[in-house]
Amino acid sequence: MATLLQHDIFQLVREPIDVAALARHVRAPEDGAAVTFDGFVRNQSHDRPTLYLDYEAYESMALAKMREIGAQLHEKYRIHRVAMVHRLGRLEIGETSVLIAVSAPHRAAAFEACRFAIDTLKRTVPIWKKEYFEDGAVWADGELPPAPVATPRAKPAS
Amino acid sequence: MLLAPSRNAGYNSLVPPVSQTIRVKVLFFGRLKELAGKGEDSIESINTTTIEQLFALYAARHPELAKYRSSVVASRNQEFAAWDTPLRAGDEVAFLPPVSGG
Repeated sequence: MATLLQHDIFQLVREPIDVAALARHVRAPEDGAAVTFDGFVRNQSHDRPTLYLDYEAYESMALAKMREIGAQLHEKYRIHRVAMVHRLGRLEIGETSVLIAVSAPHRAAAFEACRFAIDTLKRTVPIWKKEYFEDGAVWADGELPPAPVATPRAKPAS
Repeated sequence: MLLAPSRNAGYNSLVPPVSQTIRVKVLFFGRLKELAGKGEDSIESINTTTIEQLFALYAARHPELAKYRSSVVASRNQEFAAWDTPLRAGDEVAFLPPVSGG
């Protein structure tokens, strides 16, 4: 397990995300780089103008999965601190929905860890967005998280 | 003394399970919440029921849910779970559509 988790931040929030504050939070004197991923609401989806998005989450599980991603980052990469914040509720065009900031002594690890974090979040964290258009609303296409196929005791011996 | 249960006693696993009534919390999210008509339910079941059978129960009440079965993933107590996982008393089972955060 990581040793510096007390400096990490994992949050689900309903207010606007303070991107600059989180980017500053991960910086420390021993670091040389921080990479920030700022995901925000696009004004269209498949060429249809979007009015706004509404995000919901299975909050307890989403936070647990975000923390798991943080632990994976510390195991896989030589990084220092992680901040991972996702916003829920109604978001207007241009507002930040997800912010991930990673600091590291050297830039390569920070870039790789940040990329891994957002890709894994999009695949495994139970959060959903509904897209609202002039003529209705749809649940965004998502990714089915990988789940165990069968409980261990039910697996045939091999 | 002879019959005192032991945590290490292997013979327990040879005894057929006795069916017991248990209560579990069931959650639906996203599109599934709309199809199930609610996001949260509490249901009485028996302890040999699997997650698959639990979903089938709701699918029978809300046929639209059945159509989405192949694009649903289940969790038990906040961990992704296999469909053949048996329920235990107090479990929180959730049915999750494809995730679209970010």
